[in-house]
Amino acid sequence: MASAPSKLYQDDVSLVVALLDTNPFFWAAASLPFSEFLHHVIPFINSLLLLNQLNRVVLIATGTSSCGYIFDSGDGNASGNSNAVCSGIIKKLEDFVGKDSKIGKGSNGDGTRPAISSLLSGSLSLALCYIQRIFRSGTRHPQPRILCLQGSPDGPEQYVAVMNSIFSAQRLMIPIDSCIVGAQHSAFLQQASYITGGVYLKPQQLDGLFQFLAAAFATDLHSRNFLRLPKPAGVDFRASCFCHKKTIDMGYVCSVCLSIFCKYHKKCSTCGSEFNQVAPDSTIPDQKH
Amino acid sequence: MPQVRIVARNFMDMVAALPAAKLDKLYDSSFICEAVLRSLPPLAKKYVLQMLFLDSPLTAKSMEEWVLPDGLSKHKVAIDRLLQLRVFMEVNDRKKEPSYKMNQKFQSNMQKYLTTGGTVPREPMPLNAAVRLPSVGELETYAMEQWECFLLQLINSSQVDKSTSFSSSMMRAFQRGLLNSSRDNEAPRLTENGFQFLLMETNAQLWYIIREYISSAEERGMDPTDLISFLLELSFHTLGEAYSVNTLTEVQRLAIKDLADLGLVKYLQGRKEGLFMPTKLATNLSVSLSDASSRKEGFVVVETNFRMYAYSTSRLHCEILRLFSRIEYQLPNLIVGAITKESLYNAFENGITAEQIVSFLQQNAHPRVAEKMPSVPENVTDQIRLWEADRNRVEMTPSHLYEDFPSKDLFEACCDFARDYGCLLWQDTKKMRLIVKGELHQQMRDFLRGQR
Repeated sequence: MASAPSKLYQDDVSLVVALLDTNPFFWAAASLPFSEFLHHVIPFINSLLLLNQLNRVVLIATGTSSCGYIFDSGDGNASGNSNAVCSGIIKKLEDFVGKDSKIGKGSNGDGTRPAISSLLSGSLSLALCYIQRIFRSGTRHPQPRILCLQGSPDGPEQYVAVMNSIFSAQRLMIPIDSCIVGAQHSAFLQQASYITGGVYLKPQQLDGLFQFLAAAFATDLHSRNFLRLPKPAGVDFRASCFCHKKTIDMGYVCSVCLSIFCKYHKKCSTCGSEFNQVAPDSTIPDQKH
Repeated sequence: MPQVRIVARNFMDMVAALPAAKLDKLYDSSFICEAVLRSLPPLAKKYVLQMLFLDSPLTAKSMEEWVLPDGLSKHKVAIDRLLQLRVFMEVNDRKKEPSYKMNQKFQSNMQKYLTTGGTVPREPMPLNAAVRLPSVGELETYAMEQWECFLLQLINSSQVDKSTSFSSSMMRAFQRGLLNSSRDNEAPRLTENGFQFLLMETNAQLWYIIREYISSAEERGMDPTDLISFLLELSFHTLGEAYSVNTLTEVQRLAIKDLADLGLVKYLQGRKEGLFMPTKLATNLSVSLSDASSRKEGFVVVETNFRMYAYSTSRLHCEILRLFSRIEYQLPNLIVGAITKESLYNAFENGITAEQIVSFLQQNAHPRVAEKMPSVPENVTDQIRLWEADRNRVEMTPSHLYEDFPSKDLFEACCDFARDYGCLLWQDTKKMRLIVKGELHQQMRDFLRGQR
């Protein structure tokens, strides 16, 4: 899928919105510590800014119950001493994780079920809104793309929201790249990268993460037409049902709004249409001729 | 008419042409490494990133696997560029397969940049209430004024109100190739290259002038390498900040005055010392290294009835528009003209191509029409190209016609003879006639006499 041509800018200029997974439950048990992870990501961001003076990078943190903006290189105060910028990012991340866990405890009440998945749908929506604002800002804008650094497993309850974001990205012609730093593949991100034409990668060795990022995700969209980029072996297209959020292979589909259910329902919960089981040979009044 | 293209040779070509030792010395400064990296073609940038943390060389074959088959030509261009600039060095191992390794200094500078981030070349002066610093907008107008004044002086010395402080020999060096005086007491006329120069965008023009400036630097006692590194450093300064002149070396101080005349920096007198402030032209230097598109606001609106409205007060713009259109009248803020067949034929006579005119109009399109696709109406662009093609319909070559050959063998022998010299223009085998370029006539006669 071709990307939207950026108006009046050289093909090289890009805007990368990076979504960092900050789920503490995942990072506590991960093989790569979070600080090491940042040691790979921050030079990668520096390299993106190095490649072209006009490149922009935005960092959004994906928490368990909320998402927030961490860094925007287009800000006036982002230039200058990079050490200050780096420590600024780390401090903002710490503040965010603290706030996020407070929100998580608050809404869960007595903290019955720890959230194992992070709020991917929220950060995708934040990224898309930011990019839409850039599109509306004028004639000259860089070519945007979204990079998801995801580690936590998919939460099936976010299926509808994530698919909606993926289709919006497809319509705006924004590729969604995914880099999985966790242990298992993510069906959502495989579908996202497949539908929007992005790159999906699960690095085999996490201590070489910077090298994987630089090799697969650093190039601008125009040059991608000429490069051999990693393709996933197969895409997991399974959906999750709308009623229980379970992942299913076979189920019932509403013929009006295409919502998926695992068990038979009398009425569709999304669009409200009633499912009358009509016998195949009953007479239906012909309205034509 | 030969199509002479003025090659606004990329500044990087000049850098690449420096001898190896000087180039390696240039890479001591991390700003130059950054600037060089930014000027590379996109594929080359990716290769540099990938090789940045690798210590051992990588074979050329494995690099070719990074691209798809239809990207191979771009791959070759990228690798050639990297080798020219000595960013990649070729290493021949025992198996005689070429492999590439990154330049040590370049690699260590870039690794440092990525892990600790970039710095500015020098610290700006602290804000001082005694000296009022011009705002960014004022700086920009100053830069454009200086640049236009310089260009006007370049093409026609008599039209300028105030001249720059370049010596006449410097101006002559700049004008070389752009202007020539057909007769001694006549004013010098613009050559084809000169016309094409005027239609280029500001960044390309700037680099052309700077290239000439640096080439002539040796005669004035300045080391070109120092100048190159100073210019590249200049582009990393922050716009709108003042820097003290005392931090510059001798060579750089000499250069600052010239750069102020070109509009790259503004020279101010502070309380105790001189200050200089880089303008937008300077900070855009590293952006424009790789033929980036112009970022100026356009001012030309072209209508489908071939009328042209240019919202500009600058005399330079008026001169440029006069090159290919008929200026009808000039109002205080508007220049009204029309693109006519006569005016375009005039332009084509002077060596300007339709592509240059169309790209000039497109790049300088007024913001109101720039958002429309296309920014210049298609009937206008098509018509410009058609009028240019008109001139290519008939091409004249002096030639000779040979007929009444006694035998077919002689005819064939003559055809082959002419073809060997590349002068055969037309042959009619049935009627045994052939047309050969005029320059071969004498040799053809000798050949025929020899055959009899």
